[in-house]
Amino acid sequence: MLIDCPHCGPRDLAEFSYQGDATRTRPDLASTDTKAWLDYVYHRPNPAGRHREFWQHAGGCRAHLVVERDTLTHEIFTVSFARKTSGGDAA
Amino acid sequence: MSPRRSTSGGLIDRTRTVRFTFDGENLSGHAGDTLASALLANGVSLMGRSFKYHRPRGVFSAGVDEPNALVTLLRGGVREPNIPATQIEIYDGLRAESQNRFPSLAWDLGAVNQLGGRLIGAGFYYKTFMGPVIGPLKGTRFWMMCEHFIRRAAGLGRADYEADPSRYERVNAFCDVLVVGGGIAGLMAAEAAAKAGKRVILAEQEPVTGGFARWSGETNEGKQAHEWASNLTARLASLDNVRLLTRTAVWGYYDGNTLAALERVHDHVARTPKGHPRQRHWTIRATDVVLATGALERPIVFPGNDRPGVMLAGAARRYAAEFGILPGNRTIFFTNNDSAYEAAATIKRAGGHVAAIVDVRARISSAASELATAAGVSPLTGHAIVGTKCGKTLSRVFVQAYDAASGTLSGDARPLECDSLAVSGGWQPVLHLASQAGAKPVWDEEKQAFLPPEPTQRWAGAGAFLGTFGTVDALGSGRDAGLKCAGKRPSRGKLPEIAPEPLDLTPAPVLEIRGKGKAFVDFQHDVIADDVRLAHREGFVSVEHLKRYTTLGMATDQGKTSNVPGLAIMAAARGITIPEAGTTRFRPPYSPVAIGAMAAERYGDLKPERYTPIHDWHVDHGAEMTPAGLWHRPLVYAAAGETVEQAYIREAAAVRRSVGIVDVSTLGKIAVKGPDAATFLDRVYTNTFSTLKVGKARYGLMLREDGIAFDDGTTWRLGETDFLMTTTTANAGAVMQHLEYCLDILWPELKVHLTSVTDQWAGAAIAGPKARAVLERCVTGTRVDNETLPFMGIVHGEIEGAPVMICRLSFSGELAYEVYCAAGYGTLIWEALMEAGEPFDITPYGMEALGALRIEKGHVTGAEIDGRTTARDLYLDWMLSKKKPFIGSGLMDRPALIDKNRLRLVGVISLDGQKLGGGAHLVERGTPDEPGESIGHVTAFCYSPALQKYIGLALVRGGKARHGTRAYLSDPLRKRFGQVEIVSHHLFDPDGERMHG
Amino acid sequence: MVERASPLGSDFRPGSYGDFVEGTGVTILEALKGSIVEASAWPGEEKTLAENLSAICRLKLSASPGSGAANREGTCAFNIGPGRFIVSGQGEALAGVIIAAIDESVGTVTDLSHGRAVFAVEGPKVEWVLAKLFALDFSLSAFPVHTGRATAHHDLFVQIQRRGEKRFELYVFRSFARAFAKTLRRASEDVGYAIR
Repeated sequence: MLIDCPHCGPRDLAEFSYQGDATRTRPDLASTDTKAWLDYVYHRPNPAGRHREFWQHAGGCRAHLVVERDTLTHEIFTVSFARKTSGGDAA
Repeated sequence: MSPRRSTSGGLIDRTRTVRFTFDGENLSGHAGDTLASALLANGVSLMGRSFKYHRPRGVFSAGVDEPNALVTLLRGGVREPNIPATQIEIYDGLRAESQNRFPSLAWDLGAVNQLGGRLIGAGFYYKTFMGPVIGPLKGTRFWMMCEHFIRRAAGLGRADYEADPSRYERVNAFCDVLVVGGGIAGLMAAEAAAKAGKRVILAEQEPVTGGFARWSGETNEGKQAHEWASNLTARLASLDNVRLLTRTAVWGYYDGNTLAALERVHDHVARTPKGHPRQRHWTIRATDVVLATGALERPIVFPGNDRPGVMLAGAARRYAAEFGILPGNRTIFFTNNDSAYEAAATIKRAGGHVAAIVDVRARISSAASELATAAGVSPLTGHAIVGTKCGKTLSRVFVQAYDAASGTLSGDARPLECDSLAVSGGWQPVLHLASQAGAKPVWDEEKQAFLPPEPTQRWAGAGAFLGTFGTVDALGSGRDAGLKCAGKRPSRGKLPEIAPEPLDLTPAPVLEIRGKGKAFVDFQHDVIADDVRLAHREGFVSVEHLKRYTTLGMATDQGKTSNVPGLAIMAAARGITIPEAGTTRFRPPYSPVAIGAMAAERYGDLKPERYTPIHDWHVDHGAEMTPAGLWHRPLVYAAAGETVEQAYIREAAAVRRSVGIVDVSTLGKIAVKGPDAATFLDRVYTNTFSTLKVGKARYGLMLREDGIAFDDGTTWRLGETDFLMTTTTANAGAVMQHLEYCLDILWPELKVHLTSVTDQWAGAAIAGPKARAVLERCVTGTRVDNETLPFMGIVHGEIEGAPVMICRLSFSGELAYEVYCAAGYGTLIWEALMEAGEPFDITPYGMEALGALRIEKGHVTGAEIDGRTTARDLYLDWMLSKKKPFIGSGLMDRPALIDKNRLRLVGVISLDGQKLGGGAHLVERGTPDEPGESIGHVTAFCYSPALQKYIGLALVRGGKARHGTRAYLSDPLRKRFGQVEIVSHHLFDPDGERMHG
Repeated sequence: MVERASPLGSDFRPGSYGDFVEGTGVTILEALKGSIVEASAWPGEEKTLAENLSAICRLKLSASPGSGAANREGTCAFNIGPGRFIVSGQGEALAGVIIAAIDESVGTVTDLSHGRAVFAVEGPKVEWVLAKLFALDFSLSAFPVHTGRATAHHDLFVQIQRRGEKRFELYVFRSFARAFAKTLRRASEDVGYAIR
């Protein structure tokens, strides 16, 4: 599998490390809502099909990416920086 | 020289003789021979015994599809089993052995299995190894012993117990166009793409390109086809943008047009040259792929179709044309299509005798008739072979009138004398890679074959792969595929002229002749037509179930010859069509790949070694090194005659008595910089860092989001916006990733940069009552007294002219300092500290003493921060700030995490004077044989020189509440059971007076 | 000035190794760098950082992904991640100069002069040897001179800058220098290699 890193271009899967579900929203840091925290930490929809995931290009530019892909076919639709303000002067 | 070699013809080099042995017998062949062709030339027709029934088998094909002639190669004292003889190029000194026979190939005891054929049909293992559910043998050891023998009787070659000394390597390649298959179509595709300026890789699994052109006997542009192919190959090889890989099988087609290939670099020579690999694993990333993988011939399934002497018609043709070998003295052909006629004519031309052509079809084309005439026979149309007879080799076949439309036999079976039988059941395009790439093959009723689907990745098909079997089509479709991959339109340019005109290879829809006796579908796994019908009767009707129940197509040849016939039989049994029965998806590898080739450069060295800057000093001074993750660290510096235990006790005692020095360069170190660095640290640590003064350090604890402890370490504030974080050695990478995640995803608004500086700094910890005295003797540029350098203070100075940074902190519980310098000065500083410590008998200490000192103090490490414990479990609740939220604060107070009965940190003291054991359980009561319920486990243990006892740390239910109570250590694996006392984990100097002194 | 110790062991000795009968495929040497720093820009400041580094080091560095530059004094720089650059040079003073010159409003600079070991690999077979270790396209068109790539070989992070048509510099963590040297040497054996 290749992931087209927006910084480095297409790279082998081995350079990337999976960093979890990208559809979750983390409660506010100061939140004391245990249920919200439990949802954030434990609840995963695990869809068969289109999904958004975080991947870190750990063996490359170290940026975290949002990879939108199909968990059934492995087709990757989009790859973007998780940090919206990332990018060089090309951005 | 040999009974079967024709006097002339073929592409072998008859001037060069190659000597080899098979089952110990000295034989010879010619350069250009495969082991299979050389054995045939020597009159060896028996090459192996079958998987289950131990039936005698001869070579069946001439290529990668070979199911029968699997041999074991002996190379440099190592056995490599299950290599098709058709894929082995002979070289002087080659040694091969036949397989699955005892005591010899010709006289095999296991052949008794043939008599019990009915008992060991499909699903035999599933049914048998359940064992008897009733009766005296139920669940007995006797049954397990039987199982051992039954399993041994079945099988292929024996793997070796010796390590494989061969060298393998891996290489990555990138290209615009990868052409898989170096036949006519592949060569044309490669040329077209290369001319358009594309970077091309052409991979051919055989030693020489050309494919069918090597044995077709056609002329191409007035030249012999094989010459035409080698000329074109030479032209391609001369181009800078083309890489030709022969002996290279592309075996896997993965996502993103990534393909895996295996190059057999030096398997064809006796010795791999020094520094070179035997085989090379290629990972090829191609923008476009041309699949020019050709087609494989299918057998017809009929009783006795597996006898030595039976082979595919195309194989017989290839042996005659490429190797100058005749299949026998009297050859009969059995076919459902025209291709066998060409083979028959070739055999005749090469000097063989064609005894008959048996054709299931009632009528044949005029082209076929002409070829039959050329072969010197008049074809027996509307007939089928219904049986074979065999002594050591085939002696006769039985033919009967056959109506292809209804599939019925009529009249009497009559014998025909022969010593070889060549069979053709039509041709199946090789779709394995296209199927791996994700598309489902499409059945073509007219062609009676699966054809390539619409591509799901960027590939284009060419040649016989498309189901068009003529050379003209191969030339045209090859060129067009190459142009397509180069982004160009199909060409109307003139193609090379071919003679003679190709035949129409559309077969009659007959793949099985039913009769009495075993009719083999999968030769390699001994699956017969009745097994397929048995699977049907027992309800395993889906192709996926059929495959698993009968093991059809699951052998090393991946059902290259058996796939379509097997499906046809199941479809017939179910009364449905072949496409309705479906097809299984092919999985990599297309052909077998040695595990060594996958491991490649990682053989022997699974992980790279990581050395500290002071490594050589440790080794030179007698340190016994031990791996700690990837790092190599001193375990002890044992003096002559000292055991590890004696050494660490001496080292730890020296620290408490005077002073010791330990290499702490392995600690993870992360530079945390930026205007928001302090805010960031407040969020990731449970305690507060924004209040830390510049020039001071603080011990910090991190939790995971779920409230479990993650890592600990000290962080030093070097400047207002400049922190140096240390992590545990083991967690350095994970902490870095965690922090990067926080900055990239959770708080992108924070202006903080992280850089791993683990390797920038060498670190030495000086610990013991004399530690300050040592520093005073060597540090310049700063004072190190209590006022200048208080506990958790940081100073900058120099040692031997090299800048150092010294922080006063303690893991051992003694007065201690960590001295950091740039890595390149590590040994220099270490030696200076050793010299300064000489008057105090400074003692270097290793991991064991480091461990003993921290256990005495009850300081936690990864053994206690084990991914299950909370800060409270470790009595680190004082570090949980109540003034601010931090990672983990949201969930750390869940009821289950604050339960009083959780496993919590305690100290344990051995009461019987014996050693404790890591991981040993603690029980309240019981006996060595029947220990009671576990109340916890030991996480670390040592002999404490300070307390003169064996002590340990443990995680015990209830923790502190058990202080002063007794329990038993239960360690059945180490046969240890003994009484311990549970105490506070602060085993030594609980008030920390020594550290602050 | 205190002398620095090399992270490479005594077996990294000059000589010819492997199958060098038909010539030396590659030459491997430790590229001695007096200074190595990692410079990182705050979001939006990437261009400014590249300009500042260019001015300090007399380079023509742009901020685009993978871009790089080098000058005649041997100072070179290349991009390894969004807004992140490796800058190296011969002199030991350069690191301090860069650290002092980059304003905190632009980004941060971290000294790695001792933290990375740099191997220079050059010769006619350099692309072949490196292709065994990294899943990168080393052809000149895909990996032009001066540009840089951050990649990995199993557990080793490696940052690579192309310094010439047939010359690359590979930055590895210092502690892995010997392990990487071993890997590099093994990969070079079939083409023959020299250590200088």
